[in-house]
Amino acid sequence: MADPAPTPAATGNIYDLGYRSYDGPRLGRRHASRALYVSSLRSVFGIGRGGRAKVAPFVLAALTLLPALVSVGFDVLLSQTFGREDGPGGPGGPIESPIQYSTYLGLSTTLLILFCAAQAPELVGRDQRHRVLVLYFSRALERADYVLAKVGALATALVIVFAVPLAVMFAGSVLVARDVAAEFIVQVPRVAPAFVVAPVMALVLGGLSLAVASMTPRRAYATAGIIAVFIIPPIVIATVQEVARGDLARYIVLAGAGQILDGVNAFLFGRTPGDDMVRTAALPGPLYVGAAAIVIAAALVILLRRYQRIDA
Amino acid sequence: MCESTDGTPLISLRGITKRFPGVTALDELTLDIEPGIIGLVGSNGAGKSTLLRILLGLLAPTSGTALVMGRDVVREGPLIRQFVGYMPEHDVLPPDVSATELVAHLAQTSGLPVTASRERTAEVLRHVGLYEERYRPMGGYSTGMRQRVKLAQALVHDPRLLLLDEPTNGLDPSGRDDMLELVLRTGREFGITVVVASHLLGEIQRVCDFLVAIEGGRLLRADRITQFTGRTGLLAVEVDEGRDRLAAALAARGLTLHEDGRVLLVELIDEAPYDLVRDSVVELGLPLVRMEQRRHSLEDLFRDQPAAAPAAAPRRG
Repeated sequence: MADPAPTPAATGNIYDLGYRSYDGPRLGRRHASRALYVSSLRSVFGIGRGGRAKVAPFVLAALTLLPALVSVGFDVLLSQTFGREDGPGGPGGPIESPIQYSTYLGLSTTLLILFCAAQAPELVGRDQRHRVLVLYFSRALERADYVLAKVGALATALVIVFAVPLAVMFAGSVLVARDVAAEFIVQVPRVAPAFVVAPVMALVLGGLSLAVASMTPRRAYATAGIIAVFIIPPIVIATVQEVARGDLARYIVLAGAGQILDGVNAFLFGRTPGDDMVRTAALPGPLYVGAAAIVIAAALVILLRRYQRIDA
Repeated sequence: MCESTDGTPLISLRGITKRFPGVTALDELTLDIEPGIIGLVGSNGAGKSTLLRILLGLLAPTSGTALVMGRDVVREGPLIRQFVGYMPEHDVLPPDVSATELVAHLAQTSGLPVTASRERTAEVLRHVGLYEERYRPMGGYSTGMRQRVKLAQALVHDPRLLLLDEPTNGLDPSGRDDMLELVLRTGREFGITVVVASHLLGEIQRVCDFLVAIEGGRLLRADRITQFTGRTGLLAVEVDEGRDRLAAALAARGLTLHEDGRVLLVELIDEAPYDLVRDSVVELGLPLVRMEQRRHSLEDLFRDQPAAAPAAAPRRG
């Protein structure tokens, strides 16, 4: 194609400036998906949007970080007062801090759910509300790519919000120790299960939230729906455990996403579950992992079907 | 890699049928479209939007095959869509981002690298006539500006094929003129094949080389626009004085004439009348004001197609 170089002001046409043909690379579907993923991840944190869009994600992330900061501060204080060896387990006897890698999920689940309730509707509802979907689906993307980019973005954001506090705790304990290298070697296996817990949590919470949020362009409905999906099951579980006995009372615990995650967390860290209902159920650990996998798969199936059918 | 190969039509439709519950939107549509500016006309609900959406792979046809650049739109959607731009009919712009942000982002989702996306965004927004306002959130844009952004996002990845669904929707007369001018320039000067869907024949007529008319999901007629109008083409000639002398001279040269106020209308069967009118005006030394081709309205022409169109002709046109 001939280069349509603009003829300088010969016609006085105001549009006679910009357009040129493009002969550079066209990077296709994977590049397109990645671009959507990156922009979605930025928008989860309100980056590139106005200041107001940043308030909810950053406040919730800061609150999630708070226990870690307390824990590190406590460690520092103890190490200065008693020396590290007498630290948390110190003179008063074996006091175990309630803030551990293994308990952090329990401490932050509510905040992570609120994070989803605030950001998942923004992530998918916006495109429906303003009918932007058609602009995506008429490009080098498949509908499934859109779903995966959005789930990936929210899951990544949740991993970040959850992992930063653990990283702070890790850095805190290692740096406070007298023998940094030795402490590092001690801490790595302790924190290791979080590398599995974090993505499982992110995909369960993120997947379910987006599945709910994708059903409506209305932000308020989506937020209410997400909260309902995480709040109602525990109430049902508690009631059933109260009135029923036997297998039903045990297996009903798998109806709650939060409970499933608590079970997965306890199994991977090799600890007693923090959630009373999960402790009462006393189900084998792998069962929770299986349940988490089913929840993730179900959320993805719902999302993929929703976006295959949605009118764009 | 995705250029239309020689001999393959840019768009090839074979027996495309699309049924929605209770409605047949497209009925056995078979059609080849060659490069150029193509007007897709029909009344509201004729199936224009459905056809465009099938070409994009946004909708799967109930039966039939649609090839764009020789490739199946259902199976190779993302590949084809790297080379296709689409301007939807409805408002599709998020209010809280700027035109620059949106268009650059969409360029990437068409497969362009990050840097190229930014450069092309700046160029294409200038091309459509958006300047300083392109950095402001689109919530504050006028309809005309929004239409320009919609056109820009369809052009940013330099498509081979541009599909425009009612591009002048909601624009005032001068806005319509600007938009049609842009469409014309885009098609003519940059060699992009443009399919313009519209229910306004008058507009389509001004910019298109080819015309595809559909009604009730059926193909009414597809042809070069000159074929639609050539048969009844008219040459309007206006002179400041001596109109009657000119009329006499032209009649003497064997042309069929009509009078329309101050204007003489010469029947155009072929190209010959242009030269004859020019020569006559020169010989008589008349002050020629203008000489322009006129077409009968396309509605009339559709109505004159009894064989091809047993169904009702587009009334609302």
